[in-house]
Amino acid sequence: MKSNVILQVILKDWRQQRRMIVLSLLAGGIALAVLQMRGQTPLVLGTVFFFIAIMFCACLLPITNIVNERKKQTLAFLMSLPISSSRYGAAKLLSTFGMFVVPWLTLVAAALYMILFRHVLPNGVIPMMLILANLPFIGFCLITGTALVGESEGWGNAAVAVVNSSYWLAWYLLVSQVPSLSHNWTSPVAVWSPAVFKILGVEFAMILLILGTALYLQSRKRDFI
Amino acid sequence: MIEYAIELHGVCKSYRFFELQNIALRLHRGTIMGLIGPNGAGKSTTIRILMGLVHQDRGEVRVLGHRMPDDQVAAKWDIGFASEDMRLYEPVTLGWHINFMKSIYASWDDAYAQVLLKRFGLNAEQKIKGLSHGQRVKAALLLVFARRPKLLVLDEPTTGLDPVARHEILRELMAVMAEEGRSVLFSSHNTQDVEQISDQITFIDRGRIIDSMDKEIYLDRWRRLRLEVPDGVALPSLPGVIGIQQTGRLAVAIANAFEPHLPNVYEDSGARVHAVENMTLEEIFVANVEHSREEVEA
Repeated sequence: MKSNVILQVILKDWRQQRRMIVLSLLAGGIALAVLQMRGQTPLVLGTVFFFIAIMFCACLLPITNIVNERKKQTLAFLMSLPISSSRYGAAKLLSTFGMFVVPWLTLVAAALYMILFRHVLPNGVIPMMLILANLPFIGFCLITGTALVGESEGWGNAAVAVVNSSYWLAWYLLVSQVPSLSHNWTSPVAVWSPAVFKILGVEFAMILLILGTALYLQSRKRDFI
Repeated sequence: MIEYAIELHGVCKSYRFFELQNIALRLHRGTIMGLIGPNGAGKSTTIRILMGLVHQDRGEVRVLGHRMPDDQVAAKWDIGFASEDMRLYEPVTLGWHINFMKSIYASWDDAYAQVLLKRFGLNAEQKIKGLSHGQRVKAALLLVFARRPKLLVLDEPTTGLDPVARHEILRELMAVMAEEGRSVLFSSHNTQDVEQISDQITFIDRGRIIDSMDKEIYLDRWRRLRLEVPDGVALPSLPGVIGIQQTGRLAVAIANAFEPHLPNVYEDSGARVHAVENMTLEEIFVANVEHSREEVEA
Protein backbone atom coordinates (compact mmCIF):
# COMPACT_ATOMS: atom_id res chain seq x y z
CA MET A 1 0.00 0.00 0.00
CA LYS A 2 1.29 3.46 -0.88
CA SER A 3 1.61 5.84 2.03
CA ASN A 4 0.51 9.46 2.02
CA VAL A 5 3.74 11.29 1.27
CA ILE A 6 2.26 14.73 2.02
CA LEU A 7 1.29 13.52 5.50
CA GLN A 8 4.75 12.03 6.08
CA VAL A 9 6.43 15.29 5.03
CA ILE A 10 4.16 17.23 7.40
CA LEU A 11 4.95 14.83 10.26
CA LYS A 12 8.67 15.12 9.48
CA ASP A 13 8.45 18.92 9.63
CA TRP A 14 6.62 18.79 12.95
CA ARG A 15 9.23 16.48 14.43
CA GLN A 16 12.02 18.80 13.26
CA GLN A 17 10.41 22.07 14.36
CA ARG A 18 8.80 21.00 17.64
CA ARG A 19 11.50 22.75 19.69
CA MET A 20 10.60 26.10 18.17
CA ILE A 21 6.89 25.58 18.79
CA VAL A 22 7.57 24.74 22.44
CA LEU A 23 9.88 27.75 22.74
CA SER A 24 7.22 30.12 21.37
CA LEU A 25 4.60 28.69 23.72
CA LEU A 26 6.99 29.04 26.64
CA ALA A 27 7.87 32.63 25.79
CA GLY A 28 4.19 33.55 25.33
CA GLY A 29 3.32 31.80 28.60
CA ILE A 30 5.98 33.76 30.50
CA ALA A 31 4.68 37.01 28.94
CA LEU A 32 1.14 36.22 30.12
CA ALA A 33 2.46 35.34 33.60
CA VAL A 34 4.19 38.76 33.73
CA LEU A 35 0.92 40.40 32.64
CA GLN A 36 -0.80 38.80 35.62
CA MET A 37 1.45 40.64 38.07
CA ARG A 38 -0.65 43.80 37.53
CA GLY A 39 0.71 47.34 37.42
CA GLN A 40 1.87 49.55 34.58
CA THR A 41 5.34 48.05 34.01
CA PRO A 42 4.25 44.36 33.95
CA LEU A 43 1.36 45.38 31.69
CA VAL A 44 3.69 46.96 29.13
CA LEU A 45 6.35 44.24 29.43
CA GLY A 46 3.82 41.40 29.31
CA THR A 47 2.00 42.83 26.29
CA VAL A 48 5.20 43.52 24.34
CA PHE A 49 6.69 40.08 25.07
CA PHE A 50 3.38 38.39 24.26
CA PHE A 51 3.43 39.87 20.76
CA ILE A 52 7.18 39.28 20.38
CA ALA A 53 6.59 35.57 21.10
CA ILE A 54 4.01 35.40 18.29
CA MET A 55 6.14 37.50 15.93
CA PHE A 56 9.20 35.33 16.64
CA CYS A 57 7.20 32.28 15.61
CA ALA A 58 5.78 34.07 12.53
CA CYS A 59 9.26 35.02 11.28
CA LEU A 60 11.34 31.98 12.13
CA LEU A 61 9.03 29.09 11.24
CA PRO A 62 8.87 29.82 7.48
CA ILE A 63 12.63 30.40 7.39
CA THR A 64 13.58 27.21 9.21
CA ASN A 65 10.90 25.06 7.62
CA ILE A 66 10.94 26.30 4.02
CA VAL A 67 13.98 28.47 3.23
CA ASN A 68 16.43 26.17 5.02
CA GLU A 69 15.22 23.19 3.00
CA ARG A 70 16.70 24.85 -0.08
CA LYS A 71 19.62 26.58 1.65
CA LYS A 72 20.84 23.37 3.31
CA GLN A 73 20.30 21.40 0.08
CA THR A 74 17.88 18.91 1.62
CA LEU A 75 15.25 19.86 -0.96
CA ALA A 76 16.72 17.45 -3.53
CA PHE A 77 16.35 14.62 -0.98
CA LEU A 78 12.72 15.56 -0.37
CA MET A 79 11.99 15.92 -4.08
CA SER A 80 13.40 12.45 -4.75
CA LEU A 81 10.31 11.17 -2.93
CA PRO A 82 7.06 10.54 -4.84
CA ILE A 83 5.91 14.14 -4.60
CA SER A 84 5.42 16.88 -7.20
CA SER A 85 6.37 20.52 -6.71
CA SER A 86 2.74 21.53 -6.20
CA ARG A 87 2.20 18.75 -3.62
CA TYR A 88 5.45 19.74 -1.95
CA GLY A 89 4.14 23.31 -1.79
CA ALA A 90 0.87 22.13 -0.29
CA ALA A 91 2.70 19.96 2.27
CA LYS A 92 5.01 22.82 3.28
CA LEU A 93 2.14 25.29 3.50
CA LEU A 94 0.05 22.91 5.61
CA SER A 95 2.89 21.99 7.96
CA THR A 96 4.14 25.56 8.46
CA PHE A 97 0.59 26.87 8.82
CA GLY A 98 -0.23 24.20 11.40
CA MET A 99 2.98 24.83 13.33
CA PHE A 100 2.13 28.52 13.55
CA VAL A 101 -1.59 28.18 14.25
CA VAL A 102 -1.07 25.89 17.27
CA PRO A 103 1.00 28.37 19.35
CA TRP A 104 -0.91 31.36 17.94
CA LEU A 105 -4.28 29.90 18.86
CA THR A 106 -3.03 28.69 22.26
CA LEU A 107 -1.55 32.05 23.17
CA VAL A 108 -4.54 34.07 21.93
CA ALA A 109 -6.91 31.73 23.80
CA ALA A 110 -4.74 32.05 26.93
CA ALA A 111 -4.77 35.85 26.60
CA LEU A 112 -8.55 35.85 26.21
CA TYR A 113 -8.86 33.66 29.29
CA MET A 114 -6.65 36.06 31.27
CA ILE A 115 -8.80 39.02 30.22
CA LEU A 116 -12.19 37.38 30.64
CA PHE A 117 -11.62 35.34 33.78
CA ARG A 118 -8.52 36.76 35.53
CA HIS A 119 -9.49 40.36 34.68
CA VAL A 120 -5.87 41.44 34.04
CA LEU A 121 -7.22 43.94 31.50
CA PRO A 122 -10.69 45.37 30.83
CA ASN A 123 -12.86 43.37 28.37
CA GLY A 124 -12.91 46.39 26.05
CA VAL A 125 -9.37 45.50 24.95
CA ILE A 126 -10.52 42.20 23.38
CA PRO A 127 -11.37 43.51 19.86
CA MET A 128 -8.08 45.41 19.73
CA MET A 129 -6.16 42.37 21.00
CA LEU A 130 -7.71 40.13 18.30
CA ILE A 131 -7.01 42.66 15.54
CA LEU A 132 -3.39 43.09 16.70
CA ALA A 133 -2.88 39.32 17.08
CA ASN A 134 -3.94 38.89 13.46
CA LEU A 135 -1.13 41.17 12.25
CA PRO A 136 1.63 38.60 12.93
CA PHE A 137 -0.69 36.02 11.34
CA ILE A 138 -0.78 38.08 8.13
CA GLY A 139 2.96 38.64 8.41
CA PHE A 140 3.49 34.91 8.83
CA CYS A 141 1.44 34.18 5.69
CA LEU A 142 3.39 36.78 3.71
CA ILE A 143 6.77 35.38 4.81
CA THR A 144 5.62 31.80 4.20
CA GLY A 145 4.27 32.60 0.74
CA THR A 146 7.40 34.54 -0.23
CA ALA A 147 9.70 31.82 1.11
CA LEU A 148 7.80 29.17 -0.85
CA VAL A 149 7.53 31.03 -4.13
CA GLY A 150 10.74 33.11 -3.93
CA GLU A 151 12.93 30.04 -3.37
CA SER A 152 15.79 31.94 -1.81
CA GLU A 153 17.10 33.13 1.50
CA GLY A 154 17.21 36.66 0.11
CA TRP A 155 13.49 36.76 -0.62
CA GLY A 156 12.73 35.19 2.76
CA ASN A 157 14.84 37.75 4.61
CA ALA A 158 13.33 40.60 2.58
CA ALA A 159 9.83 39.44 3.54
CA VAL A 160 10.88 39.25 7.21
CA ALA A 161 12.28 42.80 7.05
CA VAL A 162 9.16 44.20 5.35
CA VAL A 163 6.80 42.43 7.75
CA ASN A 164 8.69 43.39 10.91
CA SER A 165 8.96 47.04 9.93
CA SER A 166 5.28 47.17 8.98
CA TYR A 167 3.93 46.07 12.39
CA TRP A 168 4.54 49.43 14.02
CA LEU A 169 2.96 51.32 11.16
CA ALA A 170 -0.10 49.09 11.23
CA TRP A 171 -0.42 49.45 15.01
CA TYR A 172 -0.07 53.23 14.76
CA LEU A 173 -2.70 53.45 12.00
CA LEU A 174 -5.14 51.26 13.92
CA VAL A 175 -4.80 53.27 17.11
CA SER A 176 -4.78 56.71 15.52
CA GLN A 177 -7.16 56.24 12.59
CA VAL A 178 -9.87 53.99 14.07
CA PRO A 179 -11.42 55.95 16.96
CA SER A 180 -13.94 53.22 17.83
CA LEU A 181 -10.99 50.97 18.69
CA SER A 182 -8.90 53.34 20.75
CA HIS A 183 -11.89 54.86 22.56
CA ASN A 184 -13.32 51.58 23.72
CA TRP A 185 -10.34 49.59 24.96
CA THR A 186 -10.78 50.77 28.55
CA SER A 187 -14.47 49.87 28.44
CA PRO A 188 -15.57 47.10 30.87
CA VAL A 189 -17.32 45.34 27.98
CA ALA A 190 -16.03 44.47 24.52
CA VAL A 191 -17.47 46.82 21.90
CA TRP A 192 -17.91 45.06 18.54
CA SER A 193 -18.35 48.06 16.27
CA PRO A 194 -18.78 47.74 12.45
CA ALA A 195 -15.21 49.06 12.12
CA VAL A 196 -13.91 46.12 14.20
CA PHE A 197 -15.75 43.58 12.02
CA LYS A 198 -14.54 45.35 8.89
CA ILE A 199 -10.89 45.22 10.01
CA LEU A 200 -11.16 41.58 11.09
CA GLY A 201 -12.79 40.73 7.75
CA VAL A 202 -10.00 42.46 5.80
CA GLU A 203 -7.39 40.61 7.88
CA PHE A 204 -8.92 37.19 7.18
CA ALA A 205 -9.34 38.04 3.50
CA MET A 206 -5.65 38.97 3.33
CA ILE A 207 -4.64 35.68 4.94
CA LEU A 208 -6.69 33.70 2.43
CA LEU A 209 -5.51 35.78 -0.51
CA ILE A 210 -1.81 35.45 0.35
CA LEU A 211 -1.98 31.70 0.95
CA GLY A 212 -4.10 31.11 -2.16
CA THR A 213 -1.74 33.15 -4.33
CA ALA A 214 1.31 31.30 -2.97
CA LEU A 215 -0.28 27.90 -3.73
CA TYR A 216 -1.30 29.02 -7.21
CA LEU A 217 2.16 30.36 -8.08
CA GLN A 218 3.80 27.23 -6.70
CA SER A 219 1.61 25.00 -8.87
CA ARG A 220 2.60 27.03 -11.98
CA LYS A 221 6.36 26.56 -11.51
CA ARG A 222 8.22 24.89 -14.37
CA ASP A 223 11.66 24.68 -12.78
CA PHE A 224 11.79 23.55 -9.22
CA ILE A 225 15.40 22.76 -8.38
CA MET B 1 6.23 -5.01 -20.19
CA ILE B 2 7.91 -1.66 -20.92
CA GLU B 3 10.94 -2.01 -23.18
CA TYR B 4 12.66 1.20 -22.09
CA ALA B 5 13.23 2.49 -18.58
CA ILE B 6 13.88 5.96 -19.99
CA GLU B 7 12.84 7.53 -23.29
CA LEU B 8 13.49 11.10 -24.36
CA HIS B 9 12.50 12.45 -27.75
CA GLY B 10 13.27 15.93 -29.04
CA VAL B 11 13.67 17.39 -25.56
CA CYS B 12 14.62 21.06 -25.48
CA LYS B 13 15.08 23.44 -22.60
CA SER B 14 16.29 27.00 -22.83
CA TYR B 15 17.88 29.13 -20.16
CA ARG B 16 19.43 32.56 -20.61
CA PHE B 17 22.96 31.25 -21.06
CA PHE B 18 22.40 27.57 -21.75
CA GLU B 19 20.28 25.48 -24.07
CA LEU B 20 19.52 21.78 -24.04
CA GLN B 21 18.98 20.90 -27.69
CA ASN B 22 16.88 18.12 -29.11
CA ILE B 23 17.87 15.46 -26.59
CA ALA B 24 17.03 11.90 -27.64
CA LEU B 25 17.91 9.09 -25.28
CA ARG B 26 16.79 5.53 -24.66
CA LEU B 27 17.75 3.31 -21.76
CA HIS B 28 16.78 -0.34 -22.11
CA ARG B 29 15.39 -2.05 -19.01
CA GLY B 30 18.04 -3.95 -17.09
CA THR B 31 20.99 -1.94 -18.36
CA ILE B 32 23.37 0.68 -16.93
CA MET B 33 23.89 3.82 -18.93
CA GLY B 34 26.77 6.17 -18.19
CA LEU B 35 26.03 9.77 -19.08
CA ILE B 36 29.38 11.45 -19.59
CA GLY B 37 29.97 15.11 -20.19
CA PRO B 38 32.20 17.97 -19.10
CA ASN B 39 31.04 20.37 -16.40
CA GLY B 40 28.10 22.42 -17.66
CA ALA B 41 27.35 19.99 -20.50
CA GLY B 42 23.71 19.50 -19.47
CA LYS B 43 23.89 16.22 -17.53
CA SER B 44 22.15 17.55 -14.43
CA THR B 45 19.53 19.44 -16.44
CA THR B 46 18.74 16.27 -18.40
CA ILE B 47 18.44 14.31 -15.15
CA ARG B 48 16.25 16.97 -13.54
CA ILE B 49 13.95 16.84 -16.55
CA LEU B 50 13.82 13.04 -16.17
CA MET B 51 12.84 13.45 -12.53
CA GLY B 52 10.16 16.05 -13.30
CA LEU B 53 12.03 18.69 -11.29
CA VAL B 54 12.52 20.84 -14.39
CA HIS B 55 9.88 20.95 -17.11
CA GLN B 56 11.07 20.66 -20.71
CA ASP B 57 10.04 23.41 -23.14
CA ARG B 58 9.50 20.86 -25.91
CA GLY B 59 9.73 17.13 -26.44
CA GLU B 60 8.50 13.98 -24.78
CA VAL B 61 9.89 12.29 -21.69
CA ARG B 62 8.81 8.87 -20.44
CA VAL B 63 10.25 7.21 -17.37
CA LEU B 64 9.19 3.62 -16.60
CA GLY B 65 6.30 4.22 -18.99
CA HIS B 66 5.13 7.36 -17.17
CA ARG B 67 4.92 10.66 -19.01
CA MET B 68 7.03 13.31 -17.29
CA PRO B 69 6.55 15.73 -15.65
CA ASP B 70 2.77 15.09 -15.46
CA ASP B 71 3.01 11.57 -13.98
CA GLN B 72 6.08 12.22 -11.84
CA VAL B 73 4.43 11.15 -8.59
CA ALA B 74 3.55 7.71 -9.99
CA ALA B 75 6.99 7.35 -11.61
CA LYS B 76 8.95 8.38 -8.53
CA TRP B 77 7.63 5.46 -6.47
CA ASP B 78 9.92 3.27 -8.56
CA ILE B 79 12.85 5.66 -9.04
CA GLY B 80 15.77 5.94 -6.68
CA PHE B 81 17.40 9.34 -7.17
CA ALA B 82 20.60 10.67 -5.66
CA SER B 83 22.63 13.65 -6.76
CA GLU B 84 25.96 15.11 -5.80
CA ASP B 85 24.31 18.23 -4.35
CA MET B 86 21.77 16.27 -2.30
CA ARG B 87 22.16 16.60 1.47
CA LEU B 88 20.50 14.78 4.34
CA TYR B 89 19.19 16.48 7.50
CA GLU B 90 22.26 17.27 9.57
CA PRO B 91 20.79 17.51 13.08
CA VAL B 92 19.29 14.00 12.95
CA THR B 93 20.71 10.50 12.68
CA LEU B 94 20.90 8.13 9.75
CA GLY B 95 18.46 5.93 11.69
CA TRP B 96 15.96 8.80 11.65
CA HIS B 97 16.27 8.97 7.86
CA ILE B 98 15.83 5.20 7.60
CA ASN B 99 12.63 5.40 9.65
CA PHE B 100 11.40 8.29 7.50
CA MET B 101 11.95 6.27 4.32
CA LYS B 102 10.30 3.23 5.89
CA SER B 103 7.22 5.32 6.64
CA ILE B 104 6.91 6.12 2.94
CA TYR B 105 8.08 3.05 1.02
CA ALA B 106 6.37 -0.28 1.56
CA SER B 107 9.18 -1.79 -0.53
CA TRP B 108 11.82 -0.78 2.04
CA ASP B 109 14.12 -3.74 2.69
CA ASP B 110 15.27 -3.57 6.32
CA ALA B 111 17.55 -6.60 6.08
CA TYR B 112 19.30 -5.15 3.05
CA ALA B 113 19.62 -1.78 4.81
CA GLN B 114 21.40 -3.56 7.68
CA VAL B 115 23.73 -5.29 5.22
CA LEU B 116 24.52 -1.95 3.58
CA LEU B 117 25.13 -0.29 6.95
CA LYS B 118 27.76 -2.91 7.68
CA ARG B 119 29.23 -2.94 4.17
CA PHE B 120 29.52 0.87 4.04
CA GLY B 121 30.83 1.07 7.62
CA LEU B 122 27.99 3.34 8.75
CA ASN B 123 26.37 3.68 12.15
CA ALA B 124 22.62 4.33 12.19
CA GLU B 125 22.92 6.10 15.55
CA GLN B 126 25.34 8.71 14.22
CA LYS B 127 24.07 12.18 13.33
CA ILE B 128 24.55 13.24 9.72
CA LYS B 129 26.53 16.33 10.75
CA GLY B 130 29.18 14.02 12.24
CA LEU B 131 29.71 12.08 8.99
CA SER B 132 32.50 12.67 6.48
CA HIS B 133 31.66 13.53 2.86
CA GLY B 134 32.19 9.94 1.78
CA GLN B 135 29.99 8.63 4.59
CA ARG B 136 27.24 11.10 3.69
CA VAL B 137 27.26 9.94 0.07
CA LYS B 138 27.12 6.33 1.20
CA ALA B 139 24.27 7.16 3.61
CA ALA B 140 22.29 8.82 0.80
CA LEU B 141 22.88 5.83 -1.48
CA LEU B 142 21.88 3.40 1.27
CA LEU B 143 18.55 5.23 1.51
CA VAL B 144 18.13 4.83 -2.24
CA PHE B 145 19.31 1.22 -2.61
CA ALA B 146 17.29 -0.19 0.31
CA ARG B 147 14.08 1.01 -1.34
CA ARG B 148 14.71 -1.51 -4.10
CA PRO B 149 13.71 0.88 -6.90
CA LYS B 150 13.26 -0.33 -10.48
CA LEU B 151 15.30 2.56 -11.82
CA LEU B 152 18.30 4.28 -10.25
CA VAL B 153 19.11 7.79 -11.40
CA LEU B 154 22.44 8.89 -9.98
CA ASP B 155 23.81 12.33 -10.75
CA GLU B 156 27.58 12.34 -10.16
CA PRO B 157 27.34 10.14 -7.06
CA THR B 158 31.07 9.45 -6.85
CA THR B 159 32.28 13.05 -7.11
CA GLY B 160 34.71 13.94 -4.34
CA LEU B 161 35.03 10.37 -3.02
CA ASP B 162 38.30 8.64 -2.26
CA PRO B 163 39.16 5.58 -4.43
CA VAL B 164 38.12 3.07 -1.75
CA ALA B 165 34.71 4.68 -1.23
CA ARG B 166 34.23 4.91 -5.01
CA HIS B 167 35.06 1.24 -5.38
CA GLU B 168 32.59 0.29 -2.61
CA ILE B 169 29.80 2.25 -4.26
CA LEU B 170 30.48 0.91 -7.74
CA ARG B 171 30.60 -2.64 -6.36
CA GLU B 172 27.23 -2.09 -4.71
CA LEU B 173 25.81 -0.72 -7.95
CA MET B 174 26.92 -3.90 -9.69
CA ALA B 175 25.24 -5.94 -6.96
CA VAL B 176 22.02 -3.97 -7.42
CA MET B 177 22.16 -4.72 -11.13
CA ALA B 178 22.40 -8.42 -10.43
CA GLU B 179 18.69 -8.24 -9.70
CA GLU B 180 16.77 -8.73 -12.89
CA GLY B 181 15.07 -5.82 -14.56
CA ARG B 182 16.77 -2.97 -12.70
CA SER B 183 18.09 -0.08 -14.72
CA VAL B 184 20.61 2.62 -13.87
CA LEU B 185 21.36 6.03 -15.35
CA PHE B 186 24.67 7.18 -13.96
CA SER B 187 26.07 10.59 -14.77
CA SER B 188 29.70 11.46 -14.22
CA HIS B 189 32.66 13.25 -15.65
CA ASN B 190 34.83 10.46 -14.27
CA THR B 191 35.14 8.12 -17.25
CA GLN B 192 36.91 5.45 -15.20
CA ASP B 193 33.83 4.89 -13.04
CA VAL B 194 31.53 4.81 -16.03
CA GLU B 195 33.81 2.45 -17.96
CA GLN B 196 33.80 -0.01 -15.06
CA ILE B 197 30.08 -0.47 -14.73
CA SER B 198 28.20 0.77 -17.79
CA ASP B 199 26.68 -1.23 -20.63
CA GLN B 200 25.75 1.85 -22.60
CA ILE B 201 27.56 5.17 -22.89
CA THR B 202 26.11 8.53 -23.83
CA PHE B 203 28.31 11.58 -24.39
CA ILE B 204 26.79 14.99 -23.87
CA ASP B 205 28.44 18.34 -24.54
CA ARG B 206 27.15 21.92 -24.67
CA GLY B 207 23.55 20.79 -24.35
CA ARG B 208 23.68 18.20 -27.16
CA ILE B 209 23.96 14.43 -27.17
CA ILE B 210 26.98 13.84 -29.32
CA ASP B 211 27.02 10.04 -29.27
CA SER B 212 25.24 7.15 -27.59
CA MET B 213 25.92 3.43 -27.98
CA ASP B 214 27.03 0.22 -26.24
CA LYS B 215 30.32 0.53 -24.38
CA GLU B 216 31.85 -2.49 -26.13
CA ILE B 217 31.01 -1.03 -29.53
CA TYR B 218 32.70 2.22 -28.52
CA LEU B 219 35.83 0.48 -27.37
CA ASP B 220 35.80 -1.70 -30.45
CA ARG B 221 35.27 1.07 -33.00
CA TRP B 222 37.67 3.68 -31.68
CA ARG B 223 41.37 3.22 -32.46
CA ARG B 224 44.49 5.33 -32.51
CA LEU B 225 46.92 4.69 -35.40
CA ARG B 226 50.52 5.83 -35.01
CA LEU B 227 51.94 6.57 -38.44
CA GLU B 228 55.22 7.61 -40.00
CA VAL B 229 54.69 9.82 -43.03
CA PRO B 230 57.75 10.08 -45.37
CA ASP B 231 58.40 13.36 -47.13
CA GLY B 232 56.21 13.83 -50.19
CA VAL B 233 53.48 11.52 -48.93
CA ALA B 234 50.06 13.01 -48.20
CA LEU B 235 47.76 11.07 -45.91
CA PRO B 236 44.41 10.38 -47.56
CA SER B 237 41.17 11.54 -45.99
CA LEU B 238 39.38 8.32 -45.06
CA PRO B 239 35.85 7.63 -43.90
CA GLY B 240 35.83 6.67 -40.22
CA VAL B 241 38.91 8.76 -39.42
CA ILE B 242 37.85 11.88 -37.54
CA GLY B 243 41.20 13.57 -37.08
CA ILE B 244 44.90 13.46 -37.89
CA GLN B 245 47.58 15.26 -35.89
CA GLN B 246 50.90 15.46 -37.63
CA THR B 247 54.22 16.69 -36.24
CA GLY B 248 57.02 16.36 -38.79
CA ARG B 249 57.12 12.80 -40.03
CA LEU B 250 55.03 11.44 -37.18
CA ALA B 251 51.24 11.43 -37.29
CA VAL B 252 48.41 10.13 -35.12
CA ALA B 253 45.10 9.25 -36.76
CA ILE B 254 41.97 8.81 -34.64
CA ALA B 255 39.33 6.48 -36.05
CA ASN B 256 35.79 6.35 -34.71
CA ALA B 257 34.71 3.60 -37.09
CA PHE B 258 37.79 1.44 -37.29
CA GLU B 259 37.89 -1.27 -39.93
CA PRO B 260 40.68 -3.92 -40.07
CA HIS B 261 41.68 -2.81 -43.59
CA LEU B 262 42.35 0.80 -42.47
CA PRO B 263 46.10 0.29 -41.72
CA ASN B 264 46.53 -1.28 -45.18
CA VAL B 265 45.00 1.79 -46.84
CA TYR B 266 47.53 3.99 -45.07
CA GLU B 267 50.36 1.62 -45.99
CA ASP B 268 49.20 1.71 -49.64
CA SER B 269 49.33 5.51 -49.57
CA GLY B 270 53.03 5.37 -48.63
CA ALA B 271 52.81 5.84 -44.86
CA ARG B 272 54.15 3.35 -42.35
CA VAL B 273 51.82 2.13 -39.60
CA HIS B 274 53.82 1.77 -36.36
CA ALA B 275 50.96 0.84 -34.06
CA VAL B 276 47.19 0.41 -33.86
CA GLU B 277 46.13 1.13 -30.28
CA ASN B 278 42.94 0.70 -28.34
CA MET B 279 41.67 3.87 -26.70
CA THR B 280 40.43 4.31 -23.15
CA LEU B 281 36.94 5.68 -22.63
CA GLU B 282 38.49 8.94 -21.44
CA GLU B 283 40.47 9.29 -24.66
CA ILE B 284 37.37 8.45 -26.70
CA PHE B 285 35.36 10.99 -24.71
CA VAL B 286 37.89 13.80 -25.23
CA ALA B 287 38.31 13.02 -28.95
CA ASN B 288 34.55 12.82 -29.39
CA VAL B 289 33.92 16.15 -27.65
CA GLU B 290 36.67 17.91 -29.63
CA HIS B 291 35.41 16.47 -32.92
CA SER B 292 31.84 17.47 -32.12
CA ARG B 293 32.89 21.03 -31.24
CA GLU B 294 34.89 21.32 -34.48
CA GLU B 295 31.84 20.15 -36.45
CA VAL B 296 29.56 22.65 -34.73
CA GLU B 297 32.00 25.52 -35.22
CA ALA B 298 32.63 24.60 -38.88
